[in-house]
Amino acid sequence: MATVDHKRIGILYIATSLFFFLAGGVMALLIRTQLAQPDMHVVTKDSYNQLFTMHGTTMIFLVVVPIFAGFANYVVPLMIGARDVAFPRLNALSYWLFLFGGVVLLGSFFAASGAARSGWTGYPPLSTDLRGNGQDLWIVGLHILSISSFLGAVNFLATIHNMRTAGMTWMRLPLFVWTIEIYAALLVVVLPALSAGLTMLLLDRQGWTHFFIPTGGGDPVLYQHVFWFFGHPEVYVMILPAMGIVSEVIPVFARKPIFGYKAIAFSTVAIGFYSLLVWGHHMFAVGLPIGLQIWFMIASLTIAVPTGVKIFNWIATTWRGNLIFDTAMLWALGFVAVFTIGGLSGIFVAVFPFDWQTHDTYFVVAHLHYVLFGGSVFGIFAGLYYWWPKLFGRYLNETLGKWHFWLTFIGFNVAFFPQHFLGLLGMPRRVYTYRDDDVWTTYNLISTIGSYVMGLGILFFLVNIWWSRRRSPRAVSDPWRADTLEWYATSPPPPHNFDKVPYVTSARPLRDVRRRVEERRR
Amino acid sequence: MVVAFLLAGSGLTPVDPDSPSTERIEDLYWFVGFWAAIVALAVAIPLVLFTVRYRSRGRSRTVEGPQVHGSTRLEIAWTAVPVVILLIVSIFTFYKLPGITLDAAAGEDVTKIRVEGRQFYWQYRYPNGVIAIDNLRAPADRLVELQITAPEKDVIHSYWVPDLFPKLDAIPGQVNTTRFRGKPGTYHGQCVEFCGIQHAAMLAEIELVDPDEFDSWVSEEARRQETGDSDLGAQEFNGACAKCHGAQGQGLIGPGLTAATVSNAGLVTDIVRNGRGKMPEVGTGWDDRQMKALTDYLKQRFKAGTSGS
Repeated sequence: MATVDHKRIGILYIATSLFFFLAGGVMALLIRTQLAQPDMHVVTKDSYNQLFTMHGTTMIFLVVVPIFAGFANYVVPLMIGARDVAFPRLNALSYWLFLFGGVVLLGSFFAASGAARSGWTGYPPLSTDLRGNGQDLWIVGLHILSISSFLGAVNFLATIHNMRTAGMTWMRLPLFVWTIEIYAALLVVVLPALSAGLTMLLLDRQGWTHFFIPTGGGDPVLYQHVFWFFGHPEVYVMILPAMGIVSEVIPVFARKPIFGYKAIAFSTVAIGFYSLLVWGHHMFAVGLPIGLQIWFMIASLTIAVPTGVKIFNWIATTWRGNLIFDTAMLWALGFVAVFTIGGLSGIFVAVFPFDWQTHDTYFVVAHLHYVLFGGSVFGIFAGLYYWWPKLFGRYLNETLGKWHFWLTFIGFNVAFFPQHFLGLLGMPRRVYTYRDDDVWTTYNLISTIGSYVMGLGILFFLVNIWWSRRRSPRAVSDPWRADTLEWYATSPPPPHNFDKVPYVTSARPLRDVRRRVEERRR
Repeated sequence: MVVAFLLAGSGLTPVDPDSPSTERIEDLYWFVGFWAAIVALAVAIPLVLFTVRYRSRGRSRTVEGPQVHGSTRLEIAWTAVPVVILLIVSIFTFYKLPGITLDAAAGEDVTKIRVEGRQFYWQYRYPNGVIAIDNLRAPADRLVELQITAPEKDVIHSYWVPDLFPKLDAIPGQVNTTRFRGKPGTYHGQCVEFCGIQHAAMLAEIELVDPDEFDSWVSEEARRQETGDSDLGAQEFNGACAKCHGAQGQGLIGPGLTAATVSNAGLVTDIVRNGRGKMPEVGTGWDDRQMKALTDYLKQRFKAGTSGS
């Protein structure tokens, strides 16, 4: 409990996030059950509004962002050959704040009038109008999580900048570490905006100020600017580390070096930079001046270029490889396939007149799940299957893993692809019922069935965890013949990580070590 | 033709456009879709081909592929080609933009209608003062300008009838303007910015009629609303009251309506204008004529001792 070891804190982060993932998943299944047919009464209207609000908030703030902090905690010091992070005690504080913030957020369901119910974006004046302390707890919970993420981010930056082992230059840094560098930098830049926005919202709610309330001369659109200045980079905070994991997994299971290391590293930086300039594309329907909308369209389209560079480099990495389809590789290739669809639907909604049609419809719901589930969560599962032996000294079962992957992959596409069509037909998001029309009902029913298949896939993952605890043989140090230093340590590594760290002469230090050993044998 | 017929209404394309603005947005959809399909193929073909062609087939993990680290030429190619595609997409968007924003030609006849998003109904006001709720009647084949807003005490909504015009937010204290020119017919839409518990029930309907018919209807309706023999009270009840108190006043989210309460015009006026408890100020800004239409309707519908049905 009082641990300050980066590996144990990393595991705490990952375990806690997975628990919240199950909670958020149950909310999602309830939402999909309510929408299986029009006019269902699975949950009340008010509960439904709480569910979609908390589903989004949970998945973003309690699952994807912190689980990457968990991976970063565990893996980054090992990858750069360090004994721990720069500030181990700050690290522990950051984890406990995360748990506390999570308890406050989910605990808000037990507030007298229930949890927050104004969407994960919490737009005023709706969020300032609604009574009940659920909304206040939501604000306070996000404040705590924001501080937690901020401390974690500072820690990662200090670690990456100062604690690299001898020879670990920037151009030899594993690509996952590059993405954590940008993940942390973005959080440091944008979290203060979130905190400021939430503080103003809380003051408005308590009736002392009118930052966003029109009756007192405030401007509700101002909140949207502040929120999305945080919120859009947050999207890249959630996707870049997944891209980093994919960039680690594909070369190892293709038995080749990553194609275009520098291009991928610099694309990460470019995506991070551009993500700060595009927040207005979430606001195309608020009536911004056309000139501003053109700017946000062009900036948003520009992000597609470095993203495309990454996708083509990953594919080129598989060219003439010796592709081994272990479960981690399936998730990584699944990521490339599904994320591409999410990227392309992103081009559609970046074109602002088209977004005027599809904004706030299920088209956007489909798009964001293709990026955040098909992207982030597929990347997370790739990372879990890849690093599990290192974390626990035990394997995950490959057969169960493949069931987990295929059920989730198929269920995901069945659940979310038809939502593009619903959006084009005009179905708004955040509705507890919809038009009683054969086509609408059919697509919704298909989507609901897909969500159950995904749920079944996740059950296979839970069984797999049990199998790994009870049945798995002990893991060796380097089961995948990987390239990076975390596999040089034992599985799991001792508290001090390494007895000695090899001098790093390339981006693939472990492969260099293997080759030196083999040469000596000859 | 057959394909287009199969596609219509299936959600594979946006809903059948009936106004120049939505037509041009559908053109954008096809144009972006064409390039997106090309990019999708450029990703999918090598991805599938390589995964099949270079699968391990039982080779040992120790067997490595060729140690290729990259290719500057390829990097330049897959940076430059997307840039060109995105430029083409941007230029096509600019080319279509004027037809989407639909500015009025000099001297063109424009019908201007104010649209207010309110929890949880739409209130329309015509230039001659006629009020309508949820269902809008407008002239076909004539430019219609919607001035979309919300009362200061309300929240943000978004007004959208997909066949006719793209959505635009109704924001308290701000007026957003959009235009359309549609064919005769009835079109459905609804609120698309989450606005509270009955967001899903905040539907809208637009009926486009022959312009001459519209002109005579709107002046006739003005006279009827002046003398108090229009159906405005019923519209107000269905739009502003029934969504929370039930179509028969039986109670739903809000309590049931009793004859004793609703026949008290003074009390109704106070509650509707200022809200009470959880009930928002649904009638904020209603003038006396509008309020009288509601109280008269309530009195006549909920006579003492009868239920609302």
